[in-house]
Amino acid sequence: MSPDLAIVVAAVALPFVVAALTPVLFRVLGEGTGFAGTAVALTSFGLLATQYGREGAVALPWVPSRNIALQFYVDGWALLFALLACGIGALIFSYSPAYMHGESGLVRYYAALLAFMGSIVGVALAADLIAIFLFWELTSLASFVLIGYYTADDSSQYAARMAMFITVGGGLFLLVGLLLLSVVAGDVLGPGAAFDLAAMLENPDEMQGALRDRGLFLPVLGLLAIGAGTKSAQVPLHFWLPNAMAAPTPVSAFLHSATMVKVGVYFVGRTRPLLVSAEWLFLFASLGLTTMTVCAILAVASTDIKELLAYSTASHLGLMIAGFGFTSVYGAEAGVFHLLNHALFKAALFLVAGIVAHEAGTREIDELGGLRRDLPITAAITTVVALSMAGIPPFNGFYSKELLFEAAVEASHHHDIGILGWLYPAVAVFGSIFTVLYSLKFLSLFFGERPEGLDHVHRPPVSLLVPPAVLALLAAFVSVDPQRAVDLIVQSGLEATAVDPHEMHVGIPTSYSPALGMSAVTIGVGLLAYPTYGRLHDGIRAIPRTVPQVGANWWYDTVVDGLSDEGRRFAETVHNGMLRTYATWTLGATCALALAGFVAAGAIEPTALGIKATVPIALVLLVAVIGAVAVVTSDSHIAGVLTLSILGFMVAIFYILASAPDLALTQLVVETLVLLIFLLVIEEIPEYYEVGIGRVARDAVLSVAVGATAFVTVLVTTDARPDGPTEIARGYAEQAVPRGGGTNIVNVTLVDFRGFDTLGELAVVALAAISILTLIVMRGRDEGRIGPRGEDRPDDPAGARSDGDPSGGDDE
Amino acid sequence: MTTVIMRTTARAIVPIILVVAISLFFEGHNLPGGGFIGGVLTVTAFAIIYMAFGLDFLERGILGRDVDPGKGPSRDRVVVAYRRLFAYGFAIAVGSGLVPLLFGRPFLTQTYESLEGVPIYGYLGIASALVFDFGVYCVVVGGLLTILSVVGAE
Repeated sequence: MSPDLAIVVAAVALPFVVAALTPVLFRVLGEGTGFAGTAVALTSFGLLATQYGREGAVALPWVPSRNIALQFYVDGWALLFALLACGIGALIFSYSPAYMHGESGLVRYYAALLAFMGSIVGVALAADLIAIFLFWELTSLASFVLIGYYTADDSSQYAARMAMFITVGGGLFLLVGLLLLSVVAGDVLGPGAAFDLAAMLENPDEMQGALRDRGLFLPVLGLLAIGAGTKSAQVPLHFWLPNAMAAPTPVSAFLHSATMVKVGVYFVGRTRPLLVSAEWLFLFASLGLTTMTVCAILAVASTDIKELLAYSTASHLGLMIAGFGFTSVYGAEAGVFHLLNHALFKAALFLVAGIVAHEAGTREIDELGGLRRDLPITAAITTVVALSMAGIPPFNGFYSKELLFEAAVEASHHHDIGILGWLYPAVAVFGSIFTVLYSLKFLSLFFGERPEGLDHVHRPPVSLLVPPAVLALLAAFVSVDPQRAVDLIVQSGLEATAVDPHEMHVGIPTSYSPALGMSAVTIGVGLLAYPTYGRLHDGIRAIPRTVPQVGANWWYDTVVDGLSDEGRRFAETVHNGMLRTYATWTLGATCALALAGFVAAGAIEPTALGIKATVPIALVLLVAVIGAVAVVTSDSHIAGVLTLSILGFMVAIFYILASAPDLALTQLVVETLVLLIFLLVIEEIPEYYEVGIGRVARDAVLSVAVGATAFVTVLVTTDARPDGPTEIARGYAEQAVPRGGGTNIVNVTLVDFRGFDTLGELAVVALAAISILTLIVMRGRDEGRIGPRGEDRPDDPAGARSDGDPSGGDDE
Repeated sequence: MTTVIMRTTARAIVPIILVVAISLFFEGHNLPGGGFIGGVLTVTAFAIIYMAFGLDFLERGILGRDVDPGKGPSRDRVVVAYRRLFAYGFAIAVGSGLVPLLFGRPFLTQTYESLEGVPIYGYLGIASALVFDFGVYCVVVGGLLTILSVVGAE
C-alpha cells in the first residue's frame, strides 16, 4: 500500500511551520514552549506511525522542467529513522524546559531545534536527490545554530564553526556525488528519473553496471563516503563531534544520539543496495572499524563525561558504518539494529550526563563518583544503558554487537580479501574492549567511593528524570525481548538496506559460535583490564601531548589558522585603504585575466590591420590623443580635468561621425556630469604631492597594460564579427517599429527587447547609491564615536579619500 | 565657484537643461534620448545648482526649511527624497514588468498603442515601455543625486 502524500508532507512540514511561529508561541507560553515542541514531535510521530507498514514513493511537483520533485519514499528504514528522530525529539523537548531554565535566547533555541527535527525527518523520507541534499544541508545549518547556542562563549563559537565547516564541506562532496549519480540515472532510467533515488534503488544492477561502464563508480562511491563520513564523524574527520559538546546537553543528546550524526549512517544504509560491492566492503568496513577503534581509545582518554560520550558516539557510528560496510546480511542487520539500540542508550546517557552536570555542578570524571546514594533513579537508568553500551548480555547493545562480529567473520567467506579476513574481526574485538572499558568508567560515576570535594548533590526534578527513564525502559524492553523489536521495525529496515534479506532472528545464543567467542574475549579482557584504566588513560593522553601532529584537531587548527592568517595578510596588501592600491589591483587583475583568457582561447592572432578611417574621424581621434597626452603632462588638477574632458568630448564626436547618435548623446551628457562633479570636489583634493620614480614606473606599466588590454579586446571582439549586420542586429532593426512601436532602435532594445538587462543595470545603480550611502553613514558614526563632530571635521581625512569620490559617478 | 557669473548663467541654463532633459525622456522611443540620458541630464542640472549656490540651497533657498549645520548629509530631507525617488523608480520598473503577468504574458512584455487624429500632434504612439522608462529615469536621477549630494557634502 502506498503512503499518503498529505500525511507525509504534514509530518515533515509541521516542525518547520511551528519553528517559524516560535516567537509567537514563546510570548504566550514562555519557557513552556518546550512542551509545545513535545506536542509537535508527538504529532509528527503519530502522523508517521499511521504510515507504518506502507511502502512506496509519493511526490509533490517542484521544478517539473528539470524533473525535480519534492519526493518522499516511505519504507521501514525511512520510518525507523524518522520515528526515532521524532520520538527522541519529543523527550528532548520535554527535558529542555527544566534544563534550560533561566537561559536567554530560548526562542532561537526552540526554533532551531524544531527546524532541525524537521530537516532530519526530511532527510529520512526524501527520495529526490536534490531534496535529500537540501534537507541534509538544513540539518548542518540548524545544528550550527544549536551548537553555537552560547554566543558569548568562544569555545562554543569555535565548535559551531568547526561543525559547520566540516559537515557543510562534506555536503558539497555529497552534492557532486549526487549530481554524478543523477547524470548516470538520467541516461539509464530515462530523464524523468534523473533525480529519483527510489527508481534507482529499484534497478540497482543497471545503475551499478552503468556507473562502472562510465568509470564513475569509484568517484561516486568516494564522494558519497566523504559526505557521509563528515556527517557521521568518521576518522579522520571525527574531531568536530567531541568539540560539538559545547552545545547545551539536550542538544548534544539529540544531535549525537539519534539524528545529526546518524544521517551519514542512514544514507550509507539507504544507498547500500545500489553500490554494494567488493570496493564498498573495503571502504566502509575499514573506515568504520578504524573509527570505532580510534574513537573508543580516545573515549578512554577523556576527562569530561560529555567528551567521553561524544567520542563513544563516534565510535558507535563507526560500528554502524562498518556493519553496513560488510556485504553479508549480518552486516545490514548489525547496522539497522544498532542504529535503534544506540539511539536508545546514547540519548539516555547524554540526558544522564546532563542531570549529573546540572545537579553536581561538574562534568570532570575525576571529581565524580559514588553518586548512587544521591541519584538512585539516575543510577538505575545508567546501569541499564551503560551496560547496553558496553555490549554486555542480555542488554540490547549486545545483540547488535554480536551481529557485527558475525559479519566481520563472514566477510572473508563472501570476498577474497586475504589478510583483512583476519584483521577485521581482530580490530572489531580490539575496539570493543575499549568500549567495555569506558562504559564501565561511566558507570563508576555512580558506584565506588564518593570523592571528598563533591558538594551536596540535589535531587533532579521529575521532568529531567522522565525522558531518560523512558529511554531506559525502552532499552530494557528491547533487551528482554529483542525479537519483538526486530519484528516491529528492524526487519522492515533490514529489507530496505540488505541485498538478500531474510527472516532475522536475535536472542541469547545457546550454542557456541565464533561471534560468541569474540564477545566473551571482549568482555573478559575488558573486565580484566579495567583496574589499569588510570594507567591506560594517562598513557593515551600523553601521546598527543608529545606528538601533536597525531591529533586531527591539530591539523584542523593549523589549516584554518594558516588560511585565516594568509587571508588577512592578503587583504591588508590589497585593501590598505588607499584608492590607488584598490585601483591597481582591480585594473591589474582585470587586464591579466582578460589577456590570459584571450591567450588561452587562442583568440589573438596577428592580422593585418585594415585601417579605413575617413579624414574627419582621423582628425577627431588625433585631437583626442593630444588631449590624452595633455592630461599626463598637466601640472594642476584643473588643467588635467579639463584636458581629460577634451578627450571625452572627442569620443562623443567620434560616435556622431560613426552614426551612433544615442551613444554620442549619452557620452556628452555623462562627460558633462563627470566634469561638473570633478569641479565640485576639486577643491578638496590636496595639491600635487611628490611621487617617487618607483610609483611612476608602476603607474606607467599599469596604464600601458590597461591600454593594451582595451586595444586587444576591441581588436579581438570586432574581428570575430561577421561582415554586415548580424541576424540579431537585423532582427532588432526590423522589429523595432512593428513590435516595439518606436523608431529609436537603441531605446526600443533597452526598454522592450532587452528590458531584463536594463532592470539589472537599474539594480546596479540603486546598489551603488545604497552602498555609498551606507559607507558614508557608517563613517559618520565612527567619527561620532571617536571625537566631537562639528565644523572642523571636513579637513582631516577628506584628502585621501575624496579623490575616490568621482569614481562613484564615473562608473555609471 | 559661487561667483556672480556662475549664478547668473546657472539661472538661465538650468531651466533649459531641465526642459531638454524631459523632452529627451519623452521622445526617446522614436528619437535619440530615453530614460537614462534624460536622467543623467537632469542630474547635470542639479549639479550646476549645487555648484553655483552650494549644497544647502535646495533645502534652504527653495524649500524654505532651516538646515541644521551639524546634521549628517544622509539625513537631509532632500536626500531622503532622492532615496525615495530611486526606490520608487525601481518599484515602478519592476511593477511595470509585473503587469503583463496579469494578462498571461511573460515578465516585462511591452506593447504600444497608436492614436490617430490627436489635436496638434496628429499622430501619437504611446508605448507601455514609457512606464518602464520612467522607472529608469527615476532610478538614475534618484541614485545619482543621492551619491552626488552625500558625497558632495563630505
